[in-house]
Amino acid sequence: MVCLYALFIGIALIASAVLVWATGGDWRAVLPALINGSIAKPGRWGQTLTEAAPLLLVALGAIVATRMNLVNIGQEGQLLIGAASAAMIATRGSGIFILIFSILIGALGGAIWSSVAAVLKYWRKVPEVVSTLLMVFIATQLTGFLLTKKSLLLDRSADRPNKTQTSGQLAANTRLPYIHIFGNDISIAVPISVCIALIVVFLLNRTIWGFKLDMVGMNARVAQRFGVSERSAGIIALAIGGALAGLAGSFMFTSGTANYRYTPGFANNVGWEGLLVALVSRNQPLVAVVIALVFAGLRTGSSFLASTGIQREIVDVVRALLVLALLLPPAYVFLRGNLHRDKNKGGK
Amino acid sequence: MSEVRTSGTGAQASVPLVELTNISKRYGDIAACDNVTLSMYPGQIHGILGENGAGKSTLMKVLIGLVKPDAGAISMNGVVQNITNPQSAARIGFGMVHQHFSLVEELTVWENVLLGEELKFDRARARVLVGEIGERFGLTVNPDARIRDLTAGLRQRVELIKCLRHDPRVVILDEPTSVLTPAESEQLFPTLREKVAIEGRCVALVSHKLAEVLHATDVITIMRQGRVIEHHETHQTDAPSLARAMVGREVSLRSQHAVLGASFVSQSAPSESTSTTDATDVLQIADACVSLGGVSKLKNLNLGVRAGEILGLAGVEGNGQRELGDVLSSLLTLDSGLISIDGTIVRTGKPGSMSRAGIAVIPEDRHDSGVVLTMSVAANLALQRMVDFSHNGVIDEVLLFESAQQLIDEFEIRCDGPNAPLHSLSGGNQQRVVLARELSAKPKVLVAAQPTRGLDVGAIEFMSDRLERAAASGIAILLISSDLDEILHLSHRISVISSGTIVGTIRRQEATMEQLGLLMGGLAL
Repeated sequence: MVCLYALFIGIALIASAVLVWATGGDWRAVLPALINGSIAKPGRWGQTLTEAAPLLLVALGAIVATRMNLVNIGQEGQLLIGAASAAMIATRGSGIFILIFSILIGALGGAIWSSVAAVLKYWRKVPEVVSTLLMVFIATQLTGFLLTKKSLLLDRSADRPNKTQTSGQLAANTRLPYIHIFGNDISIAVPISVCIALIVVFLLNRTIWGFKLDMVGMNARVAQRFGVSERSAGIIALAIGGALAGLAGSFMFTSGTANYRYTPGFANNVGWEGLLVALVSRNQPLVAVVIALVFAGLRTGSSFLASTGIQREIVDVVRALLVLALLLPPAYVFLRGNLHRDKNKGGK
Repeated sequence: MSEVRTSGTGAQASVPLVELTNISKRYGDIAACDNVTLSMYPGQIHGILGENGAGKSTLMKVLIGLVKPDAGAISMNGVVQNITNPQSAARIGFGMVHQHFSLVEELTVWENVLLGEELKFDRARARVLVGEIGERFGLTVNPDARIRDLTAGLRQRVELIKCLRHDPRVVILDEPTSVLTPAESEQLFPTLREKVAIEGRCVALVSHKLAEVLHATDVITIMRQGRVIEHHETHQTDAPSLARAMVGREVSLRSQHAVLGASFVSQSAPSESTSTTDATDVLQIADACVSLGGVSKLKNLNLGVRAGEILGLAGVEGNGQRELGDVLSSLLTLDSGLISIDGTIVRTGKPGSMSRAGIAVIPEDRHDSGVVLTMSVAANLALQRMVDFSHNGVIDEVLLFESAQQLIDEFEIRCDGPNAPLHSLSGGNQQRVVLARELSAKPKVLVAAQPTRGLDVGAIEFMSDRLERAAASGIAILLISSDLDEILHLSHRISVISSGTIVGTIRRQEATMEQLGLLMGGLAL
């Protein structure tokens, strides 16, 4: 497995170098820039850790849903709704209580958004894959609309720079604290997210609740026989996924991802990449903690790469190649496992 | 019976039609067929008798080209044949009627007969063909009828016609009576054997039912663990000696009857203890109605099961048994009617309601609603009682493990300990897990649907014994089975279900095969 990762990442790096060289960039700068940007340069690993937290939360939500065979792929939208609702509360007040309250409201917003998919699934039989995905686009439009009205989310201050459509800035005393350590700033969202990962592990593996979720996921008829309703378990699983994505959005907003403002395109693919984290970690929450770090490293590293003068589009391709390199080994192992199982079945 | 049995033997020829020499087939460490040598003669019905896993099916699959043997030769009329695939087997003259029907329900009989054979459908010719074959072999069936409207017996005829239309020299019948009523299965053989004798064909009848084999065949080959154990002329043998050869040990007499299908032998009935006759019903089903997709599955079904009795629910499959089982598993909601336990009404279709009310179920298909294959044995043993193994919602793994170990020992479940995944267990042991779990909940009612289907003799004996012990301990048992012998062996009273309603209830002592057969055919007494 380690060899596979090394092989695919090696190929991706070589391909990236070739690409950068072909488009007139300095190919020798690619690898150093990625490493400098993610860990090596001062303050960068703190940034990487902070960016990992929302990725991890999104992945955890996807993992919970997957345990009962639900596919929630609408985290990008749930995250937007979470961030926007947190912003609507937080920019209207100040202080620690407003901060905590707005974060909780963000989680609630995400949960309500994903619950719509649950309602559609269990009352109207709409597949949750479709509804969660499509609701991403509704969320984008809805939060865009919120930014057009001062009574809703648009910056109310008179000196709004360049008339851009952003929310007001979060007051300094309403921001999520940072931990300063070895010259790095780490948002306290990071330890909180790791704690949530531990809680999810405990809930899934050690409690009756997790057992019931497994029962529904593995054999819904057995679950029904023994008193577990697929409907209520499914609603809760989807709501948890939405709440975690919403929490990720609130954390991003209150820890200053976009300079403490809610802006168009705020989610910046965190919802999608969190899904990839869940995929690569093969739905194991603790593995997801590590994988979220790797993906965050790619984000911070590639933003550094862009600052070396390589075109933004090429940087995106480089990042995509590396993500692909991370996705291929588990996919390969999964496919080989299936093939192996089919062969065994055929022999019997 | 004896007349039928001896009539066919006169046609025996001295030259074998098919000879199998030293056929072997291994799967890993298991020899499915171990040096099997067998001769089949023209004009004979040749019984191949054996338990599940004895190698019968593998041997037949070798003949029809579905399995390639590791060693051995097959010859037809003395010429060695090379069978590489089902097409070449069909050309040589092997035809098989599989145990499970492979008919398209929405198509008519003649369409099914032609299916997969020709690109151009010639309706007129096909209808004539169906008529001709039907006439010749006594298998009359309306060529224009839709399969979904036909009974199991008629469907079997269609399968036979499909096979016979290729004019096979050797017809292989795989457990042909497993889905038929007794009347239908008695009807199947006489005409068939007559034609077989006259036309010099050969029929291989694969079965694990003693009665059927004794009744229908000329010679019997008994297989056990992949080997041919014994070979008999049918009229020179009897049920007990066949049973011994098949099982390889003495089986207890009572189980033997139930297990091996010796319903033509008179048998001892379970005695009805006085306590059960005047007890009140624990489980009561009143006027239960269910329809699915516009089709009525249960029609005003009334049934009562008393504490300590085994009520056998006999009937041909597909007459509402599955739906009744689902209702009692909280998987299906009644359209109307009531279900009550000790006089308390239980809500149908609500998750867990039946289980909480004290109804345990051994489902017809354990993989469907009996077990979670990917979970451990320990978890599967505690599915409905996880709360008992937890403190404040947190599962106590130690307690769970210990309790599972106890049940594994008590029910002799063969597995690699409580943490082994359930799918690593054999079917018989999975069934023991279901039984152990359901009984461990100390239920008032146990519904056992086809509890011994697909199990081997040892496992069947174990299951029968446990059901009897459960009844003796005061549990009301509803035994749903399409295996009459099982019903006759275990039940105190027998109810017959037909088209979703109970057509009659009789006490075991007063039951006769004919009577039950008539009821199963839907004829109320």
